[in-house]
Amino acid sequence: MPDQSLLTDEVRALVGREMVMGDVHVTPRAVKRAIEVYTGVVPKSLPAEGEDVPGYAIAAFEGDYEGQPLPSLMPNSLLIANEWSFERPLRMGETLTAVHVVASITERFGGRFGYSIDTRTETQYKDGDGNVVARSGFTMTQYSAADAREGGGG
Amino acid sequence: MKANPLTLAEGDELPVLHLEPGLGQVIRYCALQWAFPAFFYDIEAAKAQGMPGTLVPGPYKVGLLYRAVDEWLGEAGWIRQVRAAHRRPDLTGRPIDIAGRVARVYEEGGTKRADLELAVINERGEPSVRGFAVVEFNG
Repeated sequence: MPDQSLLTDEVRALVGREMVMGDVHVTPRAVKRAIEVYTGVVPKSLPAEGEDVPGYAIAAFEGDYEGQPLPSLMPNSLLIANEWSFERPLRMGETLTAVHVVASITERFGGRFGYSIDTRTETQYKDGDGNVVARSGFTMTQYSAADAREGGGG
Repeated sequence: MKANPLTLAEGDELPVLHLEPGLGQVIRYCALQWAFPAFFYDIEAAKAQGMPGTLVPGPYKVGLLYRAVDEWLGEAGWIRQVRAAHRRPDLTGRPIDIAGRVARVYEEGGTKRADLELAVINERGEPSVRGFAVVEFNG
């Protein structure tokens, strides 16, 4: 465990920082590939333009852009949680703007990782009016393997 | 059994979804994400990092939770949120079960919703993921 908190003012200043990554498109190809990846089945038909599509499609956007780089504060890192959320279903043919946000950076003492730093980032997908339609969030923990107990994330 | 918003009750269990995510599916997922950490598909790379085999990517498993809920929900509604808390890794080619139960049924914003508790269970009966979902039923 470090002698003092690793959450310096510089690190804390990252929280809330937004970065516009660019536009993503809900295309038939993206939806088809995402359905195939998660169900193992090639869909025989797809929703028409303007119709709701399965939320899997959000995964097709995640490789389009790199999020903001985060400081490496501890020797090891691991995904401990992730989530998708939707204010409404995604629609075939729509274009959304992806915005990357550092939602929180917190430190934890004890637990299975010993002293660790959790960083939650979120990519928000906004419509043309700036309303958030969907979010994809990741929580990573940074820790020292030497101080961690058995177990771990995904 | 499919979700029926008219009879849905707290404690109802979702049908267990039996899966065995293979290397092919994992490689497709890597391609979808355009991210290729070698320990997801190269067993030697995985062993070099102290893993017993290639891993099912953690972020992929939130989509498997989504699938389990989606197959149960059918046309009755849509999924507002799905969350995965990763507890231990899963290896490719090993069976996993996705289980769930209705934790709460309520109304919000004029719509009927349900909170679901979910889990990915490995072949040793251990939860590798604890999950949570919120579904909204069609009016």
